[in-house]
Amino acid sequence: MRQYILRRVGYSLVSLFLLSLVIFLFVRVTGDPVSLLVEPGASPEDIENMRRQFGLDRPLWVQYWHFMASLATGDLGLSFYYRTPVLELYFQRLPNSLLLAAVAMGLSLLIGIPSGILAAVRVGGFWDSAGKIFALLGLSLPSFWVGLVLILFFSVYLGWLPSSGSGTTLHLLMPAFTLGWYFAAAHMRLTRSSMLEVLGSEYIKLARLKGLPEALVIGKHAFKNALIPVITLAGINLVVMINVAVVVETVFAWPGIGRLLYEGITFRDFPIVQGVVIIGGGMIVLVNLLVDIFYALIDPRIRLES
Amino acid sequence: MGGETRIGSSDRRRSKNSHGKAPSSLTRRGLLALSALGIIAAEQGAALGASPEGQLTWAVHFSLAPTWFDPAETPGMITPFLLMYALHDAMVKPMPGNAAQPCLAEAVKMAPGGLSYEFTVRAGAKFHNGEPITAEDVKFSFERYRGTSAALMKERVVAVETPDARSVRFVLKKPWPDFLTFYSSATGAGWIVPKKYVEQVGEDGFKKAPVGAGPYKFVSFKPGVELVLEAFDGYWRKTPSVKRLVFKVVPEEATRLAALKRGEVDIAYSIRGELAEELRKSPGLTLKPVVIQGTFWLYFPDQWDPKSPWHDQRVREAARLAIDYKSISEALTLGYSPITNSIIPDSFDFYWKAPAAVYNLAKAKQLLAEAGFPKGFDAGDYSCDASYANLGEAVLNNLQEVGIRVKLRPLERAAFFSAYAEKKLKNIIQGASGAFGNTATRLDAFVVKGGAYAYGNYPDIDALFAEQAVELDVAKRTKMLHRIQQMVHERSIYAPIWQLAFINGQGKRVGESALGLIRGHAYSAPYEDVTLKS
Repeated sequence: MRQYILRRVGYSLVSLFLLSLVIFLFVRVTGDPVSLLVEPGASPEDIENMRRQFGLDRPLWVQYWHFMASLATGDLGLSFYYRTPVLELYFQRLPNSLLLAAVAMGLSLLIGIPSGILAAVRVGGFWDSAGKIFALLGLSLPSFWVGLVLILFFSVYLGWLPSSGSGTTLHLLMPAFTLGWYFAAAHMRLTRSSMLEVLGSEYIKLARLKGLPEALVIGKHAFKNALIPVITLAGINLVVMINVAVVVETVFAWPGIGRLLYEGITFRDFPIVQGVVIIGGGMIVLVNLLVDIFYALIDPRIRLES
Repeated sequence: MGGETRIGSSDRRRSKNSHGKAPSSLTRRGLLALSALGIIAAEQGAALGASPEGQLTWAVHFSLAPTWFDPAETPGMITPFLLMYALHDAMVKPMPGNAAQPCLAEAVKMAPGGLSYEFTVRAGAKFHNGEPITAEDVKFSFERYRGTSAALMKERVVAVETPDARSVRFVLKKPWPDFLTFYSSATGAGWIVPKKYVEQVGEDGFKKAPVGAGPYKFVSFKPGVELVLEAFDGYWRKTPSVKRLVFKVVPEEATRLAALKRGEVDIAYSIRGELAEELRKSPGLTLKPVVIQGTFWLYFPDQWDPKSPWHDQRVREAARLAIDYKSISEALTLGYSPITNSIIPDSFDFYWKAPAAVYNLAKAKQLLAEAGFPKGFDAGDYSCDASYANLGEAVLNNLQEVGIRVKLRPLERAAFFSAYAEKKLKNIIQGASGAFGNTATRLDAFVVKGGAYAYGNYPDIDALFAEQAVELDVAKRTKMLHRIQQMVHERSIYAPIWQLAFINGQGKRVGESALGLIRGHAYSAPYEDVTLKS
């Protein structure tokens, strides 16, 4: 078991190293950040000074070495745009992102799971078709469009909700719904397919043959097993919601990490992009690692096979 | 110069010159009068100003950065001045009707020979923490300045002397006629911070809780959310009318408009295109376009190549005549971007007003035929910053109409400006600049030999430029810089397109938004002038 865990940890570290290398190189492919931080026509001396100030005049490998050395001490660097430590910026935005992600996830599970169960139980019926349309719309409608339509309807025409910003429960409703709908659709589809698979299994047939009430068969025997992949996906989705809700946070001016990432990309603020991606990637790697370990703990075949 | 020493400041009478705006310049006598008026105005403000009341909220289109709370880090862009006009004050700065108005300076004197400038700190001016502003603060602010053009300024200023608590003398290595331009508006070196406070709280502490000498003091800042400021009763010019200013960050344009319509914000920055049209139609809302110091143009980098069609001045003139300036401005900026026919912004010192741009297809075709291109020619690439590709498409269509066939080549902004500066672009470049400075600094970058964006040069222009760079007599320098601009115009070195208008929206509650009060400034300023409707 120890060997299994050590190997998994090793894989995770390699993944993080590769992620750091890829993101470090990718942000630099996008171009020179200095040209976005000065007005067009700025003097070459000013541009050069700024480049020196950000350490961009040094060879790439030196920059990478410096980046990794800082990372090892928990320092994600100083934002070019904000001139503030990236970690500080990240933690300033994290509570907002956590709040939005938690509410959006709650909504997505509240809508996605029951509708997925209903669609699986009534395959080919009205609820199944309605669920499919709901999922199709949720996955295909662009979030920015949904967000703007909601603002237009609920803020401008009806005047019920604030158009943007944060601070009250009312501010949270539209962004949480916009973000949650997309994930509700994904959760609904997975719940449906997972339920269909479980409902076709032998033990469910046996339960029905035993004469158990249908509600008990679905609610107790089928649902519990069908939920496992949904919860696993929800865990990964939560990390995604926290770190990359870029569009929703931008449309609703929600001050979260997604918008921080958007600002980082817009201004080619390399430290911000690198930092957010590394932390987000780290969270996903950690979740996967924990899931792997958990699976190995409950299923000896996994650790023996590996 | 006569018996008087002229120094950079303002003179409304001169700016009304029909041949173009003369540089702002003051005599000592004039400056004394102006200072006296300033004192009287300040006293009146203090005496008559009622207590500040109410709140005004802006929807800002970008995230505010704490680095902009500190004038020492002013980068080469206009954005930080949005905050600096509220939190801080400068010795001399652009104000309504005056490109270089003494503010924290009561008087400014240039020594004969132009080797030093002496400022007298305004009596009674104080920081938000109640400390008086002293010569030491002025010296400290200059010496700690590390923003745009810091190296240039520190290279040319050999010493900053403080003979007494209210006098500061900047000693120059050699005469530098543009010193005041750089000190007042092109950099943040002349914006004053409290020495004692900065030393006490440190650099980071200052950014977290800035103390300035501006009309509004810092209350709170939530990065990416909002900045809250409160009126400073002790501001020397006048007590602000509005008690609280709130700057909310709303990056999405449609959301800004929605917030303005709902009354969640009072002023929304940057509403463009169809949304601007909708704003114009919305009852109770007002469109507030501001013409900024960003000029756009076509540049012909091959004009120095005798084999290129662009070498022929008639071809360049034909291109200028082919552009339907008015229609383009109306289509893209509701007609608010003025056609100034110059690469120099009309708010800059030494600006020369060029003859009006002409749109004449027949004449353009005739000139092309005379140049040996009766059926037009394939002109190659039309390179532009991708974010202004819509402007490029419109101009390109105009050029095609007279037979100048070009291919639009939009480049991502950074790639475009880097290729432009590295002189890698050919055929036609759609360029732009919003950089600070004056006519001389703009010509230096874009026209004169060795300029960062100049692909070639004209020796007579270079000679005249070198001459004006050391000329201390403002009148003579004005004449020379006007002549250079005239030569640029006559030779069609550029085909200027427009001076960009930045379009904003104003809500029902606003009395005075202070948008457009300061020429070329994109944002509301001065903030002590903003009012709510009673």
